[in-house]
Amino acid sequence: MAATTQAAGTVITARDLVKRYGDLTALAGASFEVARGEIFGILGPNGAGKTTLVEILEGLTRPSAGTATILGLEVTEQPVEVKRRIGVQLQASSYHQYLTLREILELFGSFYPRRADPLELLRRVHLEDRANARMRTLSGGMRQRFSIVAALVNEPEVVFFDEPTAGLDPDARRDLWAIVREVRASGATVVLTTHYMEEAETLCDRVAFLHRGRISALDTPQGLIRGLNAAYRVTCTTSAPLEAAAVAAIPGATRVVQEHAADGYVLRLRAAAAPPVVAALTAMVERAGVTMLDLAVEPATLEDVFIAVTGSEWDG
Amino acid sequence: MLTLLGASVKMVARDRQSIFWALAFPMIFLGVFRLFSVDSARTTALLVVADVRTEAGATLLAALQAVPFLDVEVRPGLSEDAALAVLQERKSDAALVLTAGAAGAPASAQLITAVNDPVRNAITVAAITSVVDRANLALTRAPQAIELHARSAGVHRTTYFEFLGPGIIGMGLMNFATIALAGSLSRYRSEGVLRRIRATPLAPWRFFTSVVGAHLLVAGVQVVVLALVAEALGAHVLRGGLPFLLVSLYGTLIFLNIGVIVAGKVQGRGAVEGAANAITLPMMFLSGSFFPTSSLPAAVRPIVEVLPLTQMLHALRGLALDGDSLLDHWPALLIMTAWVVGTLLIARVTFRFADD
Ligand SMILES: Nc1ncnc2c1ncn2[C@@H]1O[C@H](COP(=O)(O)OP(=O)(O)O)[C@@H](O)[C@H]1O
Ligand SMILES: [Mg+2]
Repeated sequence: MAATTQAAGTVITARDLVKRYGDLTALAGASFEVARGEIFGILGPNGAGKTTLVEILEGLTRPSAGTATILGLEVTEQPVEVKRRIGVQLQASSYHQYLTLREILELFGSFYPRRADPLELLRRVHLEDRANARMRTLSGGMRQRFSIVAALVNEPEVVFFDEPTAGLDPDARRDLWAIVREVRASGATVVLTTHYMEEAETLCDRVAFLHRGRISALDTPQGLIRGLNAAYRVTCTTSAPLEAAAVAAIPGATRVVQEHAADGYVLRLRAAAAPPVVAALTAMVERAGVTMLDLAVEPATLEDVFIAVTGSEWDG
Repeated sequence: MLTLLGASVKMVARDRQSIFWALAFPMIFLGVFRLFSVDSARTTALLVVADVRTEAGATLLAALQAVPFLDVEVRPGLSEDAALAVLQERKSDAALVLTAGAAGAPASAQLITAVNDPVRNAITVAAITSVVDRANLALTRAPQAIELHARSAGVHRTTYFEFLGPGIIGMGLMNFATIALAGSLSRYRSEGVLRRIRATPLAPWRFFTSVVGAHLLVAGVQVVVLALVAEALGAHVLRGGLPFLLVSLYGTLIFLNIGVIVAGKVQGRGAVEGAANAITLPMMFLSGSFFPTSSLPAAVRPIVEVLPLTQMLHALRGLALDGDSLLDHWPALLIMTAWVVGTLLIARVTFRFADD
């Protein structure tokens, strides 16, 4: 009865998931599908509902409404069967402080019919020489790496990572990205939450924007940016100010701002396509008889997407 | 399940706080009570001032030395004042000063006692009086009309330290079970370990069984270690044998359930430990760990007698001190069973894996 139909290659189906805590609606109806072998990112600022959403998928939190199906199993109907086949790294959890890393992995492995070798797991995250150390002797980055492999003890088909890189320095973060990519390469589907734009952009195959409990956009990072209609950031520094109204009138230019900085007048705008806007800008500078000191054209980022779809500034 | 139990045992054994409550705390009590044991000062130090070269002196001294509870010291030629000074310096509990009488007159013996324990004083005076009487008879070579034969019936009167042994073991089990288990469960929760375990297919009852089972195993070791220490110090608990161990663990089950209830009802780790102490501390005194519950006011006795530790200690003392069998203590076991079942049911409904 619980085996809901799922399209071939789909491992997760979320349908109208709602979670209310009293008057507060943490999740206001989220629907999406995740395909086998994807790294699927859930991106949103703090309090957006990311943890609530993944913990519903993991069977830790009961949804107020809606259904979640994983590997053909409905989570609220068959939580144990689901838990056997998924791996979980929780945002706010630690492991037993009186056990060594190896003992913890052996312990968690004993909860599953299928289990990986603890030392092999530790090797995957370069912690093999810490096998007999206890949690409290590890650095923050080591702990995060450990909590990643602790999610892999049962060789899961789907793995959930909730903000795996929160609070880590850039080097440690890049280490973790490599590990997540390896996890996917070994055949698992990865769902991760993050509030780092660049992490979602470089690591995820597809990204869902979660904003105030709703999914406000969902696509590949490139697809999201292309769909913006403002795929480039143009920054132009001139010796004297340009007429703002004239700049705003350039076809394809949006969100024009100009400010006086130490090295000249900085004009920032977004452009759907770079060449026509740059050409128009160059012509305007020549007409006004001012000198162009600098010109930079960069592709837009997910941050621009967030601002465009939510209408609010990114404060994650 | 075995891996889980093993890991749980390791966690208890490596937790310093648990081990403190399990072993160090009760051992401190055993040691302190042994040091200040009320039973230890059983002899009376007697200073004898007499010329033992005289027949009277020699006869009296021999008779005094035959009294087991007298610790006799002879200082011939000491004046009565000097003897008093010795008493004042508390170097002796009593002094007997023998002065030879003038020719033909009887010798006089002054007995001065210093101990302010009236019972002991009376015993000392009575013993010395009888010794003097006997010496008189011997010296006058009068025929004896009645010959007294005293012997021990082999009845063992329980010493205070022996009474204390099971009390401290029971107290140690209660403190360990309630405080250590409540503490580790609330730590599991606040650190998110419980939530992480809930994300695995492990059934909650298995988790609980292993944690409670691990504490029970450690409690078994605790009973054996404390019993050996108590025995070595002079409290003869080993006479209780296997039934003693079984009753100990049965009672521990109650206190473990109470630990689960406290961890489930109270939020925050410090508050949990405070609440666990608030439950165990009064029980430690009310239930007769250190003195018999019969010495409590009659008004509180009915309440005190239904407490689990009280019943557990009744049974443990009966087994260790009176050589009772388990069956002799069926009322205690019945009350304990009511506690085991009741606390288990409450623990089941109060404990939540995570605040959902
Ligand atoms: N157990 C809970 N009880 C009440 N409110 C909660 C609970 N868990 C989360 N919330 C609220 O739900 C909202 C979403 O939280 P969360 O899912 O943790 O967001 P995120 O992981 O994106 O930071 C927040 O406003 C948070 O305060
Ligand atoms: Mg979160």
